[in-house]
Amino acid sequence: MLRYTVRRLLQAIPVLLGIVTITFLLTDAIPGDPVSIMLGPSPNAEQAAAIRAKYGLDRPLYVRYLNYVADVVQGDLGHSLYYGVPVTQKIAERMPVTLLLLVSSFTFAILTAVPLGVISAKRRNQPTDHVSRVVALIGVSTPSFWIGLLLIIVFSFHLNLLPATNLIMPWADPVNVDGAGSRLDVLVMAGEHLLMPTITLGTLQMAAITRIERSAMLEVLSEEYVKLARAYGVPEGTILRKHAFRNAQLPVITVVGLQLTAALGGAVLTETVFSINGMGRLIITAINNQDYELVMGTTLFFGLTFVIGVILTDLSYAYIDPRVTYGERE
Amino acid sequence: MATTSDTQSDEMLSSGREEGGVEEEEIESRVGISYTLWQIRRDPTALAGLAIISVMTAIAVFAYIDAVIFDRLSDYAFFANMGVEQYWFANNYWVNPEHDPASVRSLLPPAWMENTFGQGTWDHPLGTDHRGRDILVRLFYGTRIAIQVGFISTAIGMVGGTLVGAVSGYYGGWIDDALMRAVETLYAIPFLVLVIAFMTAFGRDLTYAMIGVGITTIPVFARLIRSRVVSVREEDYVEAARAAGVRDRNIILRHVIPNSFAPVLVQATLQIGVSILIVAGLSFLGFGVQPPKPSWGQMLSQSRGYMLPNPWFSVWPGVAILITVVGFNLLGDGLRDALDPRVNN
Amino acid sequence: MNGTDPLLEVRDLKTQFFTAEGTVRAVDGISFTVEEGEIVGIVGESGAGKSVAASSILRLIENPGEIVGGEVRYRGETLVGFEQRDGELRERDDMLSNEAVRKRIRGREIAIIFQDPMESLNPVFTVGGQLREFIEINRDLPESEAREEAVDMLREVGIPEPVKRFDDYPHQFSGGMRQRVLIAMALACEPSLIIADEPTTALDVTVEGQILDLVEDLQQKYGTSFIWVTHDMGVVAEICDRVNVMYLGEIVEQASVDDLFHETKHPYTAALLDSMPRPDETVEELNPIEGVMPEAINPPSGCRFHPRCPDAREVCVNVHPENRAVAEGEIHPHRAACLQHEEVFRAGYWGSQPLDDAERAQRHRELTADGGGADE
Repeated sequence: MLRYTVRRLLQAIPVLLGIVTITFLLTDAIPGDPVSIMLGPSPNAEQAAAIRAKYGLDRPLYVRYLNYVADVVQGDLGHSLYYGVPVTQKIAERMPVTLLLLVSSFTFAILTAVPLGVISAKRRNQPTDHVSRVVALIGVSTPSFWIGLLLIIVFSFHLNLLPATNLIMPWADPVNVDGAGSRLDVLVMAGEHLLMPTITLGTLQMAAITRIERSAMLEVLSEEYVKLARAYGVPEGTILRKHAFRNAQLPVITVVGLQLTAALGGAVLTETVFSINGMGRLIITAINNQDYELVMGTTLFFGLTFVIGVILTDLSYAYIDPRVTYGERE
Repeated sequence: MATTSDTQSDEMLSSGREEGGVEEEEIESRVGISYTLWQIRRDPTALAGLAIISVMTAIAVFAYIDAVIFDRLSDYAFFANMGVEQYWFANNYWVNPEHDPASVRSLLPPAWMENTFGQGTWDHPLGTDHRGRDILVRLFYGTRIAIQVGFISTAIGMVGGTLVGAVSGYYGGWIDDALMRAVETLYAIPFLVLVIAFMTAFGRDLTYAMIGVGITTIPVFARLIRSRVVSVREEDYVEAARAAGVRDRNIILRHVIPNSFAPVLVQATLQIGVSILIVAGLSFLGFGVQPPKPSWGQMLSQSRGYMLPNPWFSVWPGVAILITVVGFNLLGDGLRDALDPRVNN
Repeated sequence: MNGTDPLLEVRDLKTQFFTAEGTVRAVDGISFTVEEGEIVGIVGESGAGKSVAASSILRLIENPGEIVGGEVRYRGETLVGFEQRDGELRERDDMLSNEAVRKRIRGREIAIIFQDPMESLNPVFTVGGQLREFIEINRDLPESEAREEAVDMLREVGIPEPVKRFDDYPHQFSGGMRQRVLIAMALACEPSLIIADEPTTALDVTVEGQILDLVEDLQQKYGTSFIWVTHDMGVVAEICDRVNVMYLGEIVEQASVDDLFHETKHPYTAALLDSMPRPDETVEELNPIEGVMPEAINPPSGCRFHPRCPDAREVCVNVHPENRAVAEGEIHPHRAACLQHEEVFRAGYWGSQPLDDAERAQRHRELTADGGGADE
């Protein structure tokens, strides 16, 4: 298992390098120049040259690329021109918000989808199954940001129940949170703020996982080893919970990993809908302001999050399926 | 959802592998595919999907003629004299208040409702937007964008992914490793972010949205085709073709790709829905069709400022997206079930 | 028949599958018995309904399949029982509930070994764990004792280093070894009857031989009865006491092994025996059965074998023979379903016109061609 983990981590390196490269090239292709942003439309030639030299913009592409890679390896993502702070600082500031959103939406998705998919498979072609299939179908077919808009209309504007903007970190200091007197207040408010964004971002994942859970479960339930367990008098509940469930999670895990990229993109939209200052809005702001190093830094963050997520899912896959690690050894 | 069939694709449709030489094998697999496709006529949900797609596509074609072709034709005196103009249909057969500023009423609710701006009217069945434009008309013309984007970007991804996957799977070795790492990289950057960066670099309009989404779709197809190719490569008839001196390129084109057609078709159908969603998201963020040309995502974006006075403005474009994407998902699911009888039985 | 009740008695069992293409009569009224300590074979081509028959005994038939009639009795308990009531076939009151079949019969009284050892073990659990679980459930042993029992059983079926292999996963076992594990599972639950559903089909010949030897030894030792499902007459000859030959859902001949091989009473059995490779014949002398078996969805009229039968006559097209006792046997009579036995069936076989080859081929083509294509 350890060997497999190391192997998997090593395999991620070229992908990360690839992300850095793609981002660098794309960012370089963006028209415009940081100089014009800093100095306005008609810059003084001397000042411009000075700034170019300062940021190394006067050097050839490959030199800048190698410099950037070298910096990234050392943990230096450069400097945000727009915010005037190091990129890493900006990311550190925004990252917890997005991670909170991602974790809570995946938790929501998995907690609802797994039981829904299992019940659906178990009661195949019965009313419960039909309902859950329709819900899942609508879930994968709905634009997430639209769900957000509808939630805001209903729960914020009409029922006045939930706040329509911003997030509050559950670990925030009550002193810094408006209207909060104690830790409990902060937690409640954090929950209220998180609820709608979680549903907005999590619905697609929920629906996708429900669908795969159902089909994986159906497939496993028709396997010979499930038939064998039945033939040996294993109770149906045990078959569902033990014999079939564990196997059925394998394709589910794969899908959860792959859904991560959709979720990261969805985070951009969700943060926009709810005016949440996370990584998603940061990258849009960075692009709109041609803040190159910030664009590269945030993209790298998204890539890294995905790669880590996929490694985690691969490891849990290997944990469940003994064939994976043993296969590696041979 | 785009990836759910990924794991199943390996086992999906192992068409005819018993007897027969090269020709028989191919004929058999093609007959097999068209026969299974014909099977969906018995599947009411797949037919419903097909019906939705057909209606939407018909609307899109009609909207394209009215918005683009008539616009071009109206440059010629011959057609202009006949009354051909852009939005000819909307202008003549549909109320378009932009041409009558005096009667513009903005943010009207649907016909059967009432809000602070007044009672809805059947002139604007779904109500009007912030500039008094009829929402139904704008949805109608927005269909063109959604359908166009869905088909074209998926076609780009399909062709690109098929090439990458086929080459990668067929040659194996370092070519395979390099291409697969590249594909993984492409997949690792969230596609929305990638397309936004791509569009910032090259241009914010629809063309680049389609190309960008198409490129981000490549990994899905590349993996699918590669897994097919790796299994097909070992088949006897491919060995036979190679032994008979058929060139590699021809083997891939004539044997490998046709045999992978079915899972690709399923994936493409589902992918069109995904692409429509992504492009709607892009438009929502301001990347995509630029106003005043209508697209559904852009309408939703505009509606954000008016959710309190006229929430219906935010409802309808989403409904349009939902119905269209449901159509592709229903058909895609139906096709998959037809091609993968294990799940269906 | 010989005074004592048989261990298992199957009477007129019918199992059907309700598919979009139509009703498949997979098992269409079969009757046979299994005595204590006996190995009874069910033999036939693939698709004859052997495996469905085997699964029906334990009520393991799943949607869209259903047992629709007949009776299965095991030691006085009714595993399957239907009766005619108000013009409809219904489950009899004495038929065991699903729960009772699961708790009292499956594994504990009747165990099953499936065809494919590669698919029958759960890949994500250890081999020992799976074996232990079944022992726990069916012998009410606590975990530690069940574990000991499992290790003993693995040793018994010839798994080397059973203590070590206990914690291995199925993919670390070869096909033959997995089949031994499955046999261990069946025996470890100490059932009185084991249904072996083509247990050696997926294995190569040498391994098959070893497994058959193992089963014979263990059968001697434990006195367990077996129902052995196979398509291989060689296997039948090697281990069975009595044999049922199935064709298209029906038992066409039923006899002791000796009688079946030496006093063959049905042309289908004769054809099966003819198609069997033997050391004293070359491959050229092999005599495969003509054509393929039609689908059970739309079986031929009259005798179901007539389109492929070398001895078919006009009468075979119209008269459907049930199997009847056509000769004496050691304990049970020798039964066959063929009109040739004029003295029993009295259908006028010998006076009827033989079907000529062309006609028969034509009928066979029709049957096999529209089997799957019956669209509307």
